[in-house]
Amino acid sequence: MSIEPITGRYVTVTVGGAPRRIYFEEAGQGRPVICLHTAGADTRQWRHLMNDAEITASNRLIAFDMPWHGKSLPPEGFETQEYLLTTEAYIETVLAVIDGLGLDRPVLAGCSMGGRIALQIAALHPEKFSGFIAIEASDFQPAWYDIDWFHRPDAHGGEMGAALVSANISPYAPNSERWNTLWMFMQSGPGVFRGDLSFYTRDDSLIPRLPTIDTRATPVHIIVGAYDLTCTPEDAERTAKAIPGATLAVMDELGHFPMSEHPEGFRPFFVDALEKMPSPAAKAA
Amino acid sequence: MAFLEKSQDRVLTHTFPGMAHRPAFMAAIPQLMYAWEAKVIDTFKQIQTRLEATPHLLRLGRLFSETVLIEVGGDEFYLSFEKGRIVSVVEGPSRKTPWRFALRTDAGALNKFWEARPEPGFHDIFGLVKIGRGRIDGDILSLVKNLRFFKEVLTLARAKEELAA
Repeated sequence: MSIEPITGRYVTVTVGGAPRRIYFEEAGQGRPVICLHTAGADTRQWRHLMNDAEITASNRLIAFDMPWHGKSLPPEGFETQEYLLTTEAYIETVLAVIDGLGLDRPVLAGCSMGGRIALQIAALHPEKFSGFIAIEASDFQPAWYDIDWFHRPDAHGGEMGAALVSANISPYAPNSERWNTLWMFMQSGPGVFRGDLSFYTRDDSLIPRLPTIDTRATPVHIIVGAYDLTCTPEDAERTAKAIPGATLAVMDELGHFPMSEHPEGFRPFFVDALEKMPSPAAKAA
Repeated sequence: MAFLEKSQDRVLTHTFPGMAHRPAFMAAIPQLMYAWEAKVIDTFKQIQTRLEATPHLLRLGRLFSETVLIEVGGDEFYLSFEKGRIVSVVEGPSRKTPWRFALRTDAGALNKFWEARPEPGFHDIFGLVKIGRGRIDGDILSLVKNLRFFKEVLTLARAKEELAA
């Protein structure tokens, strides 16, 4: 028997003028690192890193489920709403959570849509963070699929979404973790994956903001997997070039969900990324 | 850039099992068949056999009764499914065989797709489309509704290292 060091609690914050009960997990101590999950998934994507004693010895990893995802309920009245995430609502949620948890300039690490929003925040609210790790993140990609496929009454959106995103998982991923990764998509609530994708595939506002990011104040490190069809290495490279001083690492044997699909393969890239972020001691000095 | 056509753009009429039979006058002449053509059709027949021995796919595909066109370097192969089983693999060309959706690619890409650990882009049918080595058309929604089943059926021909993984 083993009990993992991850603990889960809830924090209620205000987003869009209404309360949101947010589920978050954390493990470790030291420098706070906020971890954002991908579209159509939840905090469980980060569990391997949160169970990594070497990483959590000096890093307090905190991951939360966005409203409508995982164990964070949708807002009151959701039954008549069409869920469509926006860049603005996503940013407001991230800022509300770090304020609600009383975090002092955490590192922000996000994957896919979480990586996209990390770069948006690097441009718009850098003063609230110490650095940014943008995983499978780029300026913009239009959809190569019809997002309406994933929310319809005659088929299971989660199963279809999982089957689609499996295209983004590397053949090097251990089979068990491939399916654990896909299970989260299968569990996603009706219309949630579609609602996440609506902003991700339509809002290109990040493009003109990239050159304004000041990496001398807050470093930006981008990580991308070669098997990612949604954010390809070319997409990530183009994005890194647009941010003066940003660094880029390409993972030859990983895909779009590296921390979840292949934890061992991803670990050294995440450790390297953390080393590029300012240490708490350096900040105090 | 949407490189998949929207499902409503080109929806063909429903196909029925058993319709995908080549007219007699178009029957293949084995001795004139290119070696790689023979290999491709053999591989599809291998998939047909392996599918029969894969209970979870037969369960996932139990509502799938359609004909799928696989075009390889311009040569057509019709895979007819009946309740998750492949009931026929027929070589074209045929203008009389209705199909629900089509995957069009080339022999080199398909061979890479069937490697145990394909290179990026060759690891998934949507990867083939993304790198310009494949095209998917027809009733895309039918494909998406049965996507896990269809993709896993195609990978039944992957080298065994991965099947065992």
